[in-house]
Amino acid sequence: MSSPDVHELTLKPITAHSFNGDRTKLAVCPNDTNVDIYNTSSSNWTVEATLKDHDKIVTGIDIAPNSNRIVTCSQDRNAYVWTQENGVWKPALVLLRINRAATFVRWSPNEDKFAVASGARAISVCYFDEDNDWWGSKHIKKPIRSTVLSIDWHPNNVLLASGSADMKARVFSAFIKGVDKKPTPTVWGDKLPFNTVCGEFQSGRGGWVHTVAFSPSGDVLAFAGHDSCINVAYPNADGNPTVITVATPSLPYLSLFWANEHQIVAAGHDCAPVLFETSNNQDWHYTGSLDENKKKVSTATSVLSRFKTMDSRGSSDNDTDLNTIHQNTILEMRPYAGTRDNVTQFSTAGVDGKIVVWDFDPSRVVKDMSALRL
Amino acid sequence: MAFRRIDIDQYDEDIYTEEEILIDAESGRSAQEIESLVDARATDVRNLLTRGNINDALTKSLEDPPYGRQLENAKAKNIKTVIDVLNQFRSTDIPTAIKGLDVVQQDVLMKYLYAALSKPEQFNSGMLLSWHEKLTEVAGTGSIVRVMTDKRTVF
Amino acid sequence: MSNTLRPYLTAVRSTLTAALCVENFSSQVVERHNKPEIEAQTSKEVIMNPLTISRNENEQVLIETSVNSVRISIKIKQADDIETILCHKFSRFMMMRADNFVILRRKPMDGFDISFLITNHHTEQMYKHKLVDFIVHFMEAVDKEISEMKLSVNKRARTVAESYLGEASRLFYKGY
Repeated sequence: MSSPDVHELTLKPITAHSFNGDRTKLAVCPNDTNVDIYNTSSSNWTVEATLKDHDKIVTGIDIAPNSNRIVTCSQDRNAYVWTQENGVWKPALVLLRINRAATFVRWSPNEDKFAVASGARAISVCYFDEDNDWWGSKHIKKPIRSTVLSIDWHPNNVLLASGSADMKARVFSAFIKGVDKKPTPTVWGDKLPFNTVCGEFQSGRGGWVHTVAFSPSGDVLAFAGHDSCINVAYPNADGNPTVITVATPSLPYLSLFWANEHQIVAAGHDCAPVLFETSNNQDWHYTGSLDENKKKVSTATSVLSRFKTMDSRGSSDNDTDLNTIHQNTILEMRPYAGTRDNVTQFSTAGVDGKIVVWDFDPSRVVKDMSALRL
Repeated sequence: MAFRRIDIDQYDEDIYTEEEILIDAESGRSAQEIESLVDARATDVRNLLTRGNINDALTKSLEDPPYGRQLENAKAKNIKTVIDVLNQFRSTDIPTAIKGLDVVQQDVLMKYLYAALSKPEQFNSGMLLSWHEKLTEVAGTGSIVRVMTDKRTVF
Repeated sequence: MSNTLRPYLTAVRSTLTAALCVENFSSQVVERHNKPEIEAQTSKEVIMNPLTISRNENEQVLIETSVNSVRISIKIKQADDIETILCHKFSRFMMMRADNFVILRRKPMDGFDISFLITNHHTEQMYKHKLVDFIVHFMEAVDKEISEMKLSVNKRARTVAESYLGEASRLFYKGY
């Protein structure tokens, strides 16, 4: 497979995407109420099923890698857990008990819970209720003041990070009695009843927090907001966390992940994934773009033909394309191959309807910022 | 029919009000204190300018900007201080002056450029626009985004 | 005067590029609604600080940004009464046909001559940099358009006056 591997699935934005555990299936939402399941085992991706129970735009999709269950959430305030029975995907409605749009969903690492972010200024932590045979939920409400835009699970299956439009990133306990065993103490605290606030961070420059991610070990939290900054928060025992902010000259980032403990990849309105690095956990800095920005070779090579287009169309360059692979904002980025502390490939989904699978190769970083400019 | 004109959303207790958003941006100092600081800085800047030290005057003027509400007076004075310094630069010296600033100072300068650009009757837009162009080349669109997101406004 | 046009448009271009970072955002106030937050003004935290860019007192752009929409209001140069009338007629003509202009707002904001409203649906369907190009091009063209129209109005007035007075003077001489 050549890298980056580009698949143009639709011309509409891809609001969410998720690969299954062995990367043979891909679920995407093409900016409408359906979820398309693609078979990705050959190089030509084909739709093999469409899940259509939502009646507003689907905002989040996550496939549990081991149990192969799909959870989807939508602006219609609902979430479904889909399970495959005899080749057919069957939905089960989740009792979210929210009255505004659901915005984001993720399975917990053990796949026994998932969390749904919502515009009801709450996070629903959902678990399977054996007694009633349905997916029930508990709400994390305080102290969230605005729409929750993204969430990320800590590897210990209990802690949950959230980023919301009230300009703050937070870490909560999502401990569910009966589902979770008592977690071992972490840097985020040792006593963790449900809805404990273990940390609250902001960059100080405003801007709603678009994306949050725990580091591979779970001891550090990275978040990026609409202020074009990347922030890395280290919790301290005395309750005063250290927040390192990298202000970048580019447009805001919408998605980020940790490739390993020292490298973060972020992408967003600049249409290219970019790399941030540190050597000693203090000097976080912008390294460069992972998109090689190959200049397209002009098709109209001869001077005569160029003058002809100038004459007939009144413009010297009829080129609307950007230099980047994605032609519009990257909405979501997820690890594709490798382990949690050593990601070797990742996938991106954009407003331009493309899914791109990239090799994570820091040696090929393009340092020149000017290549990124629109 | 008067009840139809009542904005019922204001009684929603969950709503994140402007008050609460802006309270985070306050420094906790009194208005008089801030105003005297602004005045003191204006004097310092003027002294540096008379000595011909315009680069230091620029960094000095961008220090500790007055943030928060009910500071119209102090804010207006500080805008004037900054713009007076910018006026002293020849257009060829602008790029070097900008490169001498760190990222935080560049962001503050961007805020002041927009603050002054919104008062064309008071400040010369031509000069401000050439600063804006040079600053965007160095600090990028990210700096402009931060002017929009940052609730610590300077005007 | 004209030497400030280029930096003015450059500033508008970079500010628009920064402002047009919008995304799909469902209303927090009304259930199952999705509306431009900059128009609804119901959730203060998703509205950013408005920015003004001015070339002089008579030529300004106001850019108001929210999480899913951007409102751009333009004050067009009006040096005299003819230009005021022409500008009014011109913007009215366009705003009556706002449906066909997609991003045009039906009413300008107070104190401005014409306003655009760009939402996340527009940035999804159209290239963002081309939208920016369009607004900048519009600002460039509208000045030119109005001064051309002013010239033709003046020219027409002159021709009318000439032919009328010519006729009148001929009649006058014929009579005697």
